[in-house]
Amino acid sequence: MEIDVRHIARLAKLDIPEEELPRMEQELSSIVSMVEKLPELASKESLLDPENTMELRPDVVQPSFPRDEMLKNAPDTAAGCLMVPKVVE
Amino acid sequence: MNNNFETVIGLEVHAELNTKTKIFCSCENRFGAEVNTLCCPICMGLPGTLPVLNRQVVESAVRMGHALNCRINGVTKQDRKNYFYPDLPKAYQISQFDVPLCEGGYLDVLVGDEVRRIGVTRIHIEEDAGKLIHDDSFDGTLCDYNRCGVPLIEIVSEPDLRSADEAKAYLETITTILLYLGISDAKMQEGSVRCDVNVSVRPRGASEFGTRCEMKNVNSFGAVYRAIVYEAERQMEVLASGGTIQQETRRWDDAKGKSILMRSKEDAQDYRYFPDPDLLTFVVSEEKIAALKASLPELPTARTLRYVKDFGLQKVDAQLLSVNKARADFFDACAALGRCEAKIAANWLLGDIAKILNEQRIEITDTALTPEHLADMIVLINKGTISNTAAKTVLEEIMRRDVEPAQVVEEKGLAQISDASALSGIVDQVLADNPKAVADYKKGKVNVAGFLVGQCMKASRGQGNPATLRDMVIEAIQKL
Amino acid sequence: MRKLYEYSATELSSLLRGREVSAAEITEAALGRIEAVEGQVDAFLTVTADEARAAAERVDAKIAAGEELAPLAGIPVAVKDNICTRGVRTTCASRMLENFVPPYDATVTEKLEAQGAVLTGKTNMDEFAMGGSCENSYFKKTKNPWDTSRVPGGSSGGSAAAVASCEVPLALGSDTGGSVRCPASFCGIVGLKPTYGAVSRYGLVAFASSLDQIGPFGRTVDDVALLYGAICGHDPRDATSKNAALGEVRGEVKGLRLGVPKEYFGEGISPEVKAAVYAAVERLKGLGAEVVEISLPSTDYALAAYYIISSAEASSNLARYDGVKYGFSGNREGTLNDLYLSTRSQGFGAEVKRRIMLGTYVLSSGYYDAYYKRAKLLQGVIGQEFADAFEKCDAIVTPVNPTTAFKLGEKCDDPVQMYATDVCTVTVNIAGLPGVSLPCGSDAAGLPIGMQVIGPRFSETRLLSIAKCYETAVGGFAVKEM
Repeated sequence: MEIDVRHIARLAKLDIPEEELPRMEQELSSIVSMVEKLPELASKESLLDPENTMELRPDVVQPSFPRDEMLKNAPDTAAGCLMVPKVVE
Repeated sequence: MNNNFETVIGLEVHAELNTKTKIFCSCENRFGAEVNTLCCPICMGLPGTLPVLNRQVVESAVRMGHALNCRINGVTKQDRKNYFYPDLPKAYQISQFDVPLCEGGYLDVLVGDEVRRIGVTRIHIEEDAGKLIHDDSFDGTLCDYNRCGVPLIEIVSEPDLRSADEAKAYLETITTILLYLGISDAKMQEGSVRCDVNVSVRPRGASEFGTRCEMKNVNSFGAVYRAIVYEAERQMEVLASGGTIQQETRRWDDAKGKSILMRSKEDAQDYRYFPDPDLLTFVVSEEKIAALKASLPELPTARTLRYVKDFGLQKVDAQLLSVNKARADFFDACAALGRCEAKIAANWLLGDIAKILNEQRIEITDTALTPEHLADMIVLINKGTISNTAAKTVLEEIMRRDVEPAQVVEEKGLAQISDASALSGIVDQVLADNPKAVADYKKGKVNVAGFLVGQCMKASRGQGNPATLRDMVIEAIQKL
Repeated sequence: MRKLYEYSATELSSLLRGREVSAAEITEAALGRIEAVEGQVDAFLTVTADEARAAAERVDAKIAAGEELAPLAGIPVAVKDNICTRGVRTTCASRMLENFVPPYDATVTEKLEAQGAVLTGKTNMDEFAMGGSCENSYFKKTKNPWDTSRVPGGSSGGSAAAVASCEVPLALGSDTGGSVRCPASFCGIVGLKPTYGAVSRYGLVAFASSLDQIGPFGRTVDDVALLYGAICGHDPRDATSKNAALGEVRGEVKGLRLGVPKEYFGEGISPEVKAAVYAAVERLKGLGAEVVEISLPSTDYALAAYYIISSAEASSNLARYDGVKYGFSGNREGTLNDLYLSTRSQGFGAEVKRRIMLGTYVLSSGYYDAYYKRAKLLQGVIGQEFADAFEKCDAIVTPVNPTTAFKLGEKCDDPVQMYATDVCTVTVNIAGLPGVSLPCGSDAAGLPIGMQVIGPRFSETRLLSIAKCYETAVGGFAVKEM
């Protein structure tokens, strides 16, 4: 089992230090290897569950939250907005 | 444009639905509010919050599916599309992956005189992302989440379009249908309809498609046209000079008139789609699907063709009329009265009425005009009670207030005068005032009769019967 | 004489109604007990003494005004720190949410407040509910009241320890793979993992949305029933929630068929645990239950399916912690990607990162079918096996944990060994079933052993009835003196 830990870390936006990569790969492999013993259950079908469905919501407006309440946990704000490092489009 | 190549285009159209609330929370769905004032813990992705799907979103999407002749998947689900970006608070977009709500449809598009059938691969529902504000007076990028969770339908076409003109006509037809169904404001300038364009080129006659590039940020009908022309030419140049096209995502810069590389295939994102565990499978019943189909209005292309067939309108006129549902509905109501020739009503709608509406930037439903009043006005013209000139005055009045045309004629004294004895004074005066024209006529320039009749009309304040006046003018000159 | 803090919620409720005690006295007793033993137990991350006193005052005012009281009025309740409490910090025991104060309540906390329950604080847990020992907390390690050198179990270890040490009579936890039942078992109390959908998840910070379920802890079955009855039911804010209600918990097993699945008594289960659970089954048989042997052959695969599904969902659920909107924010001086990487690498602990990595991997391009989809299909198989089993029996009895509480630090180095502690509990989450954990004796060291009673969907009333029958027969469950 070869796992491209660096690639996975990039997708997950995690910085795994170089020296921890082998250990992480070994840990992931040992968990994933549990799956190797799973019976083959191939199916072309989508993962739909018509036996267990949900109700939809009526289209009725409820008040939004006050802006300061929505922003009060934010690390950085400006002009009523959240602020992030400059994004180059 | 290199004639040895054929352009192949597919469009992904994102349209914001005009539901009252957002797709997964009860915040109001409205454009133009102050930043971050239409937000709640759900659409801002705070921990522990959960989405609940808006029924109206599903119904609007199914109606669009019917309008585009799709098969409706009555048992479907929502999936998560995972990626990090500051406009996406949950770091995943709730969308649909392998079971879109609508699939396998088509749209008939009128391109010039030809009807082109364009395949529609799928329509799915998803949530919109927020808006990033790039303002140099701040040392960062600002995030406004009002748009987060605004419902979108994504309409994906087959690669059936063959020119920028076709693509533009397809997109225009889509937006017209959105307006017909009343499910979207369909305003490209406000971003409520956005478009990604897939373009490839291939040697004419080839059966395989070329490598395609996707262009993002194509946000007006004009931009769609320009982006396709630019991109097709770029690709043809590459191929003509012996190069190969790389599959990539490009960004269209309409101001600069060119596309810029965003990411190549190697950087393609891995979205890790999987069914959203916060939302179960949902069902739209067969009955509901049928009822939504029954609720569809006649669609613009069908309407255009009917106007040509039933009323003998020119195709271009029929299309102009059909593109605006309110005006077309008005026209149908007027024609249904059977009081006047439909074609005449169409001429008024496309001519003087359209001019007034455009000048005032209003819709026909914003005026007092009724189909009955328009028909009655045309009847008054046909009966000779008013002239076309006087009719313009009547029209202005009946558009402004709810009043019978006949009453306007009476109030303003616009009734046409056909009685020769009442008009003879005017004719004599006009001939006396225009000796040169009279002389010209006598020399054989019979065209000046029109000018003299016009002068008589003016003198009669539009009330004189032009035919009567013409007879009288010619008779009077000959008597001179 | 028994101290006020030793009383059950059911007893306190009736004392309050008889005006023999005030809500303020009950609350002071709980806060006093917390003050006294918290140094040994470390169950709480936040103690909300002021809010608790104010809530008690409101209840006393109601009593004075002769108003009708809801069942939970005036009863101290502790809440796991992954359940949002408006205005009270909710950390998930993570550096990531160290200072996060939700501007909204979870549906369950709203229901508690509406009943007049007294929130005494937020309890410790494994970070984002990932773990089985409560050792993965960023802030502190909770200890088992029975032996403070041992773990209380996890991930709802703080809630279980708070109840077991009589800091509060009732607490809420959450259970994704055993996180209510495991600590209940280690701490010698009663814990219920309700049917998936029976309790609203709105405001429960998600770990694995399709498996998470909020559940109650108490020292008696009646108390657990009392709290469950207050929080269950459909919630329009949770699309996965269903109608659920609690019936009368009679405490009878007569005529019920109890299934004993051999797969749950395999070699990984310690002899003492096996013996205690078998003895409990015998006792229930003596009380009128019929015992049938059953088989759940896919049990061996459940653990793998569980780790695939839960990690996949977690990798997506925890992607929102990016340093932009709330919570810990890393390096803001560099690029956006620097902010993401530093926030997530410094804000999450090792176990959380491991699960995010695993989940990201099993969903990544080319692996979805082999891992995630296969696990989801297996989930269907496991569910069907349970459905078949419930044709033959009315409830299933198994151990909760393979062993009794282990030493702090004992299993920290080997994630797979730690994951194996969930082997008896994850199937219940995978199948969306209810399961109750209740004490059934102790090992040679005097540490509690738990048994699990599993039923069909929405059979909570039956499960609690079986548990109560056993509880009555053994004369109630022991409480550790501290």
